[in-house]
Amino acid sequence: MVKRIWIYSGIISLSLITKGALAAGDSSGGLPQLDITTWPSQLFWLVVTFVIGYILISSLVAPSISSVLENRSTKISDDLETAKKAQDNAKEVYTSYEESLSEARSQAAIAAAKALEEAKTETASRDAAINKKLAASAKKAEARLSEMRDEALSSLEDLATETSQKIIAELTPVKVTKAVVKKHVAAHAKLQS
Amino acid sequence: MHSPVEQFTIKALYALSLFGYDISFTNSSLFMVFAVLLSSGFLFFAMRPASIIPGRLQCLAEMMYEFVANILDSNVGKEGKPYFPFVFTLFLFILFSNLLGLIPYSYTVTSQIIVTFAMAFTIFIGVTLIGLFKHGLHFFSFFVPPGASKPLIPLLVLIEVISYLIRPVSLSVRLFANMLAGHTMLKVFAGLAVMMSGAGGIMVAGSAFPLIAIIGLTGLELLVALLQAYVFTILTCMYLNDALHLH
Repeated sequence: MVKRIWIYSGIISLSLITKGALAAGDSSGGLPQLDITTWPSQLFWLVVTFVIGYILISSLVAPSISSVLENRSTKISDDLETAKKAQDNAKEVYTSYEESLSEARSQAAIAAAKALEEAKTETASRDAAINKKLAASAKKAEARLSEMRDEALSSLEDLATETSQKIIAELTPVKVTKAVVKKHVAAHAKLQS
Repeated sequence: MHSPVEQFTIKALYALSLFGYDISFTNSSLFMVFAVLLSSGFLFFAMRPASIIPGRLQCLAEMMYEFVANILDSNVGKEGKPYFPFVFTLFLFILFSNLLGLIPYSYTVTSQIIVTFAMAFTIFIGVTLIGLFKHGLHFFSFFVPPGASKPLIPLLVLIEVISYLIRPVSLSVRLFANMLAGHTMLKVFAGLAVMMSGAGGIMVAGSAFPLIAIIGLTGLELLVALLQAYVFTILTCMYLNDALHLH
């Protein structure tokens, strides 16, 4: 279609030019350009060379250049796409890394809190056990202490009774039974304490 | 002494004729062949490595391709894609013709009005056909500027039609006149240098000035050669856009 338009218009223009030139007649004299006897040859060779040039360029030169340019643009866009994909991939990896990192962080925090709690309960239980033990042993010791005190007191009473009986026997002629002395000593001791 | 326009003379290198027309292979034809073979050959061999990371030559070839592709894309848009080979061929043909013409003793194909006019007229017919095929009779609404007040419409349509019909002339004359003027100017200064050096005495030393001027002008002509190829291409794209999208 396009080629045909140029062929038709070439034929029409050449025939019109030839007709016009023939009508105008030879007016040569000044410029060599106006010597119409040279025109047929120029027009003929213009058509021949231009048509050859058109064929060479439209079938050989232009396709090779446009294919190279197309290859380049597809290569560039492909490369850009690949780069974009790689970037997206990297982003994805980064987000997943971040996610796992935060997850690990929260897990670590939970574990730490748990460990702290455990340690606290353990210390508390241990404390309680030790306290119990200590309390038990303190009680025991107290019991023994009071027992010993009672023992000491009772032996002291015995001693006081014996001593008092002996003193009374030495100093006075009164015969006093041990029971009576003991009774008095006990009363006295009760008063004292 | 040659005249400054002597350089534009067509000389037959090999006589040929077809249906009574003289279609001799001339110096102009030779440089058309050079332009086509050099442009497509350069691009073909520069793209041989076809590597993802281009070398210097491949980079240059790709830049030329993308330059034209960008012009077409920014002026016409997506619908312009099928016309890319034509626009690219046109650009390369004009660019290489202009650049080859700057080499001393070469021939500037684009300094011939008939060559530029044939190209411009073919583009004109082509974009008109494209517009008619695409939009049918609606194409003629292109000549009515949108938002014009009713009483002014006949006048505006007249102006639009004239400006549309003048397109091939302005497009071809722009390129042709630039090439013609630049190359004539170079030859005038060169002739001046030759005349001064032939005059003897102090004039021989003075002939350095036109020579220096030629160096500067050659740089300017290089710019013009590139710029005119660009202008021709971008105008073609704009006309194509008008045909495809009307307003």
